[in-house]
Formats: sequence, C-alpha cells, structure tokens
Amino acid sequence: MGKILTIAKHTFREAARDRVLYGLLAFAVIFIFLDLFFAKLSLGDLVMIKSFGLAGIYLFGLIITVFLGASIIQKEIERRTLYFVLSKPVSRAELVLGKFLGLLAAILLTIALMAAIYLAVVAIEGGGLDLLGLAAIGFQMLEMTLLTALLVFFSSIVSPLTATICSTLLLFAGHLLPTVLNNAKIIGGGAYKLVIFLYYLLPNLAKFDMRELAAHAISIPGQSVLYAVLYAVAYTAALLLLAVECFKRREL
Amino acid sequence: MILLDKVTKRYGRRAAVAGLSLKVRDGAAFGFLGQNGAGKTTTMKMIVGLAAPDNGRIEIGGKPATDIAMRADLGYMPEAPYFYERLTGAEFLRFCAELFGKELSGEACDKLLARVGLQAASDKAIGAYSKGMKQRLGFAQALVNDPEYVLLDEPLDGLDPIGRKEIKNIIRGLRAAGNTVFFNSHILYDTEELCDEIGILHEGRLAYSGPVREFCAGRPLEERFVEVVEGLAQKR
Repeated sequence: MGKILTIAKHTFREAARDRVLYGLLAFAVIFIFLDLFFAKLSLGDLVMIKSFGLAGIYLFGLIITVFLGASIIQKEIERRTLYFVLSKPVSRAELVLGKFLGLLAAILLTIALMAAIYLAVVAIEGGGLDLLGLAAIGFQMLEMTLLTALLVFFSSIVSPLTATICSTLLLFAGHLLPTVLNNAKIIGGGAYKLVIFLYYLLPNLAKFDMRELAAHAISIPGQSVLYAVLYAVAYTAALLLLAVECFKRREL
Repeated sequence: MILLDKVTKRYGRRAAVAGLSLKVRDGAAFGFLGQNGAGKTTTMKMIVGLAAPDNGRIEIGGKPATDIAMRADLGYMPEAPYFYERLTGAEFLRFCAELFGKELSGEACDKLLARVGLQAASDKAIGAYSKGMKQRLGFAQALVNDPEYVLLDEPLDGLDPIGRKEIKNIIRGLRAAGNTVFFNSHILYDTEELCDEIGILHEGRLAYSGPVREFCAGRPLEERFVEVVEGLAQKR
C-alpha cells in the first residue's frame, strides 16, 4: 500500500503543478461566478442559479478529468518515465492503482473547490446552504471516479487521443442508456436484447445525474445514494482490474 | 552474479535477442557493447524486469529477474532518461527512494546530488535542467538505494568532459566498493578504461564475452571492436 500511496502522492503533485489545470479552473470559477449575473437576469430564480452552477461544475469537472486522465499511463510509456518506477520494487498493478488514486485526488479536489464557490454563490443569492446541490456534486464525484477509472483503463492500452474519443463516446452513451432502453422496449425483438446487453455492459452514468432534482429542491432517495455508490465502486474496481491486466501485457 | 541463460526476446518476427547466455561475476565492471539495434537495451530491460524474455531465464544474485523484491538490490539508469519535469531534482530523488520504502533525509539527498555534481540545482525544476544535468540525475537515482548491482544504459552519453570524468570516478568508486556495474556504451575509450570484462552483442547474439585485455590483445578496444563486428557482418 505504501508504494501505491507514494505513486498517488507523486501523481497528485504532478497534476497540481500543471498550468493548464489552473487555466481550466480559472475558467470554471469565472463560469460559476457568472451565476451572480444570471441571478440578476432571472430575478433571483434559485432553480436557474442552481442549474447553471451545477452544470458548470459538471462541465468543467468533465473537461479537467479528461484532460488529466487521457494520457495518464500512455504519456509515461511514451516518455519512458515509467522506466524509473518499474525498475524499482514496484509492480504494474501498484503503478496503475497509484496513478488512479493520485489523479482522482486531484480531480476531486478541483470539484470540491468549484463546489465551495457554488455554495457561496447560492448562499449570496439567498438560497442558504444548498445541501441537495452538495449531494448532486457528490454524485458527480462518483461519476468522475468511474470516468477516471475508464480513462486509466483506456490510457493503459491506447493513445491519449483514442482514449479521449472512446471515453467521451462512452460518457455520451452512458447518459443515454435509460432513454435508449425505454425506446428499445417499445421496438422489442433483437434490438431490445442488444440494448439490454449494452445496458448492463456499458457504464450507466444516468444514475449519477441528480442535478435536476437538486436544482428543483426534490430530495434524492437514500436508496439511489446506496445504489450509485455500490455501482460506482463495483464498476471502477472492474475497470481497474482490466487496466492492470492489460498493462501487465504491455511491452515497454 | 548476473546470469542470462539462453535468453530470447522477439518483437514480432524479429529476434532482438537470440539465445543469449552470459555470466557477469559479482564485483565486476562489465561493458556491454554492440552496434545500434544489436539488442543491448532490450537485454538490459529484461535484466531489470521492464521486459520479459520469451525464452530462457535471467537471475540476479541467484534470484529470478521476475521477482519484484530482487529489484531492491538493483540500480538502473535508462538511456537518455526522461523525467517528471515539474518536480525538482531533490523531490525526484525522494520519490525514487520512497519506491524502495526508504525515507531520504535532506542531508542524504544533498550528499547524493553533490556526488553527481547537482547540489546547486537540487531545488530547480527538472524541466529547466540541461541534457547533461538530466543524465547526472538519472545516475543519482540509480544509486538512491545503495544497490549491489548497478545497470547503466549509456551513462556517459550527453556529458561534457568534466561530467564524464565525474561519472567515471563514481563508477570506479562503485567498482572499488565491490558493486557490480553493468553498462552499455558506445564510447569504447571509456569502456576500455573502466571495465575488466566486456560482452559484444551482434544482431542479438553474443559475439564475445570475457576480459577486455584478452579481447584487445594490446590494440585499442575500438579498433578490435570494429574488426570483429565488420568480420561478423561480412560472414552473413
């Protein structure tokens, strides 16, 4: 565990010193602060303020995750920095897990920073402490955990560009799955069976989208929380296991 | 002892290393020579566990190279090393030490950096280092665990004459302390000066292994090396 944490700490430090990350964070902060302007336009409509703020956190969280994660392993293979790590008593599994944890810590920290600004903006506009918004951000963190594992997996087998494209497509598909399933149910037959198969195979990211509920102050059922946590943990673990197995077979 | 027994490594159809058997005794300074693409780096990568042989076995100090714990006794410097450019030299060395489960004190870190002539740049981001400074840092990280076996891939490449002199002195010091030094090099003058034994690899096969003096027979190593390699190329 010590080596995993060492690699995680190192990965976090590398990410935290990335100037592009600060640029993205600055844009995110400006975007969330724009909420104050929209609050004026919408005559203080809290639903509008919350929707805009939560969407901003999601959008920038996503960009930051893909930006940091798409090349996390591949970059090290190409630059041969891995030679320093893997020639020491470190297994490939420890490297993958360490990279994942360090990257995830950096991503969650940036989301937490954006969340703090969002909460301040909502409080300024008279919305008090937006606990439901906070819960929706918690769900987003679960989604980003899964997405990070997906990026680590792709990064262990393909180039950063391919990893970005594949992850974005899966992200898109992952949010559309319930809608597609409902439509396929109406069509029925082979198409429905195929969609059922994909529904269980691909990451169902719609489970983590609680932004609309939070914006409209509709409480999130406890069962959804438990189910989302278990789903994120299980899917992330499966992806990391796959990433480790693929990476073990990679020629360096 | 570093032992390679009938080691083969293929990349697609091409055998980068073909049935290589080699013994490097403990405490030796062993120079591994060959033309570009002869399979030297592949061999070294297999010894340190970065690549797995398709056939054959590799042992270091009696332990298989596939044993991760064995790497605790190993120091490895890759060819033309790339670094985590946002870290400082000192941070990088501490990171490397932590991978061995060791805590590198400030004093130990300074000492190691001073050993390779980088003390003044310890808090500078590696991205701002020159090629020679990176080469020195690569050398320093190979010594961070005080290893018994030191494997260096082109350690003198990119260094100015002073840097080469300093690194050669460290290699001599390691040898005097009883460490086993195994290195790849194109700079045959330095190899001749530093090594007591050499191995010559040609197209993945071992062409010679033994004492450097025996191989040279009173002639410069470079001259003999060219003669042998050209002779092998003509035979094919």
